[in-house]
Amino acid sequence: MEILVCIKQVPGTSEVEVDKETGVLKREGIDSKMNPYDLYGVETAVKIKEQTGARVTVTTMGPPQASEILQEAFMMGADEAALFTDRKFAGADVLATSYTIAQGIKKVNIPDLIICGKQTTDGDTAQVGPELAEFLSIPHVANVTEIIEVTDKSIVLEMDMGHSVEVVEMLYPCLITVEKGINVPRLPSFKLKLATKNKKIPFYSLNDFEDKDEKKYGLNGSPTRVLRIFSPEANADRETWTGSGEELTAKLVKKLKELKFA
Amino acid sequence: MARIVINQKLVTKPEELVRLCPFNAIEWDNEYLQINAACKMCKLCVKKGPAGVFTCEEEKVEAIDKSLWRGVCVYVDHVDGDIHPVTFELIGKAREMAAKISHPVYVIFAGSDILTKAAEILHYGVDEVFVYDDPELKHFRIEPYTAVMEDFIHNNKPSTILFGGTNVGRSLAPRVAARFRTGLTADCTILDMDESTDLAQIRPAFGGNIMAHIYTPNSRPQFATVRYKIFDAPARNQEQSGKVTVCHLPADKLQSRIKVKDVKKKETVQTIEDAEIIVVAGGAVKSQEGLALCRSIAEKLGGMLAVTRPLVEAGIADPRLQIGLSGRTVKPRLIICAGVAGYIQFVAGMDKSDTIIAINTDEQAQIFNVAHYGIIGDVYEVLPKLAEQLGA
Amino acid sequence: MAYKKIDSKDIEFLVSVAGKDKVFVGDQIHETYSRDEIVHAGKYPDVVVEAESTEEISRIMKYAYEQEIIVTPRGQGTGLAGASVAFQGGIMISTVRMNKILELDDENLTLTVEPGVLLMDIIKFVQSNDLFYPPDPGEKSASIGGNISTNAGGMKAVKYGVTRDYVRGLEVVLPDGRVIEVGGKNVKNSSGYSIKDLIIGAEGTLGFITKAILKLLPLPKVSYSLLVPFPDLATAIETVPKIIKSKSIPTAIEFMERSAIVAAEEFLGKKFPDKSSDAYLLLTFDGNKKEEVEDAYEKVAHICLEAGAFDVFISNTQERQETIWKTRGAFLEAIKASTSELDECDVVVPRNKVAEFIKFTNVLQKEIDIRIQSFGHAGDGNLHVYVLRDDLPAAEWKAKLTKAFDRMYAKAAELDGLTSGEHGIGSEKKPFLEKAMGEDYMSVLKSIKAAFDPKNILNPGKVC
Repeated sequence: MEILVCIKQVPGTSEVEVDKETGVLKREGIDSKMNPYDLYGVETAVKIKEQTGARVTVTTMGPPQASEILQEAFMMGADEAALFTDRKFAGADVLATSYTIAQGIKKVNIPDLIICGKQTTDGDTAQVGPELAEFLSIPHVANVTEIIEVTDKSIVLEMDMGHSVEVVEMLYPCLITVEKGINVPRLPSFKLKLATKNKKIPFYSLNDFEDKDEKKYGLNGSPTRVLRIFSPEANADRETWTGSGEELTAKLVKKLKELKFA
Repeated sequence: MARIVINQKLVTKPEELVRLCPFNAIEWDNEYLQINAACKMCKLCVKKGPAGVFTCEEEKVEAIDKSLWRGVCVYVDHVDGDIHPVTFELIGKAREMAAKISHPVYVIFAGSDILTKAAEILHYGVDEVFVYDDPELKHFRIEPYTAVMEDFIHNNKPSTILFGGTNVGRSLAPRVAARFRTGLTADCTILDMDESTDLAQIRPAFGGNIMAHIYTPNSRPQFATVRYKIFDAPARNQEQSGKVTVCHLPADKLQSRIKVKDVKKKETVQTIEDAEIIVVAGGAVKSQEGLALCRSIAEKLGGMLAVTRPLVEAGIADPRLQIGLSGRTVKPRLIICAGVAGYIQFVAGMDKSDTIIAINTDEQAQIFNVAHYGIIGDVYEVLPKLAEQLGA
Repeated sequence: MAYKKIDSKDIEFLVSVAGKDKVFVGDQIHETYSRDEIVHAGKYPDVVVEAESTEEISRIMKYAYEQEIIVTPRGQGTGLAGASVAFQGGIMISTVRMNKILELDDENLTLTVEPGVLLMDIIKFVQSNDLFYPPDPGEKSASIGGNISTNAGGMKAVKYGVTRDYVRGLEVVLPDGRVIEVGGKNVKNSSGYSIKDLIIGAEGTLGFITKAILKLLPLPKVSYSLLVPFPDLATAIETVPKIIKSKSIPTAIEFMERSAIVAAEEFLGKKFPDKSSDAYLLLTFDGNKKEEVEDAYEKVAHICLEAGAFDVFISNTQERQETIWKTRGAFLEAIKASTSELDECDVVVPRNKVAEFIKFTNVLQKEIDIRIQSFGHAGDGNLHVYVLRDDLPAAEWKAKLTKAFDRMYAKAAELDGLTSGEHGIGSEKKPFLEKAMGEDYMSVLKSIKAAFDPKNILNPGKVC
């Protein structure tokens, strides 16, 4: 069985602020890490590998230094990796990103199962998984909370539907996005670090892809535009209420309704 | 359409220029400065960099004819015919935006045995409800549902489609957006309609510390998802208006490689870290009865009960409900602190909450330093009345 | 000796000094002032004053000295040995309102603070200025005055030392109300007896700390942890001297057993990334460059593997560090939640004797038939051994606890260890200190106490 996990490198901290006067992003330090949600994806894949002997490949789109997180995935038990990198991918929104990854995966090999994390901590959209499945013309299930069974032809899993949980069986090839609570990601292993030190990671650029039309990649291939970024109005309210029990309760109920909690 | 161009001749201190970019998208290879794949087109380098080094060049592309796309559409979010209330909130917003550009309001509803439910939507001021009713659509499965959306969009060419930010909406919307190679903005908190029919979409980015205004200038339809309880649902009209149009898809479009084997009630044990609404019983809530009162208010608000350390130490409450430095850290949307003193031990575990309401008789209590709404009063006077009013 | 009981005139005086809203009598006194983190069967002081300045404290001390009234200094009350509990009543002076950071001197790298500033606030403040206050006791809501009074240690002692190493100067109110300054911003000091070092760790028996000048370091930019699974605790702990010998000094070396991890998981409702092994070492490395820190940890990782570790897991991101250290930080609360009552032995032994001591407690646990759990700072030899009451009846609990403690302190002495590593002597550990140190040593301590406080009014009955 072949499993592919899509991961992403994100900033090491999500504490980003906008300078109130200049409207410019303030970001301290430049360290980055694997998207925390993707750790659950890698863990899911490695767990299936431990049960079935599947081969796990990890891929990412990003600058060359994003190969660091692919190496980290090796330390968690992944077998192979590929990096999709090209300056022409710059400025990609969800659509262009998904299309690029789909083209890259076609180059690597369409596996039986593709696993994505639920979302990333920098983009926060939770869209790349479903869009990728669409571009690969394979079915997908999002919000997977448990893998029940992995067979030769299909995977049985639990999907969170909000108030209910559906048990579904999906035939390969297919894609799932996994929820945070699905498992406890293992820590990278030093033993595996030593064992995979010399593993080569192939880089693929636009020239390697089947579709070389530049209009579909990077900013050119992105239908959305960011017009501006700005600081949200913080909840600066500081109110103190006094009065009788009845008055206070009435005020509280009114406020809860106003804030849409009641 | 656009790209960052670097005038290499003007580059003097490349190491400093590299640091301009918060996304590490500027690279220096000891000869040239280049923009790599990490670029998000935020144009900070253009704004902050020395004049002329970075410029943004727009390429002209052929503009689409937006007048061919008419209608603001809402996808009916449901599980097994139970319509999620976010649907009505979106209808309210769609009506408001459609009025600005004199577009019709459409609703798209796919499921099995849903005709009566579709008629009910006519009480909410929409122009047309498109219904795809088929046993194959009983459960949400991605391929047939995407096929429905594809068929609807081809036939009706709506300008904007809104989805609830539910698990279904967040799975279906991107899939359809990709099929039409168009833009989708997730979890919008503000939506508005420009005269050009471009949808102004504002959403939190980078973990909510920043808001981004996003639009889809040259693609249609334009898609957005919105979470529950962001917009207001309109009141139900006595009279129906608009019409229901029943549509059909050929059987081969309704096939799926997914089989739903079982539907179960969700039984996961929620922890206070995951709760969006928390009612905290503090030291002033000394009895089991007081605790039960707090719990019932929490449940009525759809949240969870939590406690402070004294209640755990007194053996009245489970340590797993304890908030604080030595307990659990929470960041809910709403936290009501009932009779909590607000020592640093506690506050450090909850001061990042969105809205903090505190009830305490002691106006000097430290909890009031972090509360957005401070209620000086006795929990035993306020809470029972609150429980009553929430119950009614 | 008979102390004066508090009467209405005394209260009147205290109100005249501190103001009505800062003096608490009888029912107004909050329950937390009657105890500390472990000593629950404590006693209420007669009056609590939340002082706001050195001058107020000086005036109160002078009055108390003249009237012969007991004074108990109090920080956040997070101590574990009873030093801040007013067992004999009298006046308790709380520093809760003296919580201002007075000065950051970035030319001398010092921070001047009032005693009531919380450790967590100091850490946060200096970090935002790219600086570092290394002492790292688990209880971050403790006050700095309390930390100094117990010479608190914490996790980072292996590389950075303890609180005493980061106190440059103090302002102290003597028992009779006089105010002296000891140390200062100077790096070196050879000017006679080091009163400063006597005050540090004196648990508020020699003087009342009203101001402290702390030494800061530049903030290390990179921090990694290693979680190292071992087949058993003995193998884990026996690896520690080998790590120390290697000269790549970790910031922290902690040991933990699966049972503590499971208890903390249950308590926090958070899963730990690995609990497949019986025993673990948890190491931290810090430095300024990723490469430098990686070099250091790789060397140690190899030592661990050679010593029999199953693997070495690497924690290098904020989330991973938080999960691991949050769990580590919850051990005490988790163990507390798992039993009805507990008491703690905080001995310190030479680092190469830790394994022997832990093996001893395992034997002891079976011999006395009482639950004993331990975790601690393997890297500095400081152990936290908890004896748990569970459902034992009071008399039996008392008897078994005494027996366990007697045996453990005797064992520590046999291994050339000391009575307390970082929690202090207070009231609870005094008998063990007396036994371990002998009469001659104790008589020196008592003479020192008498030199500072001839009337024995400041926190009497503690330490010696």
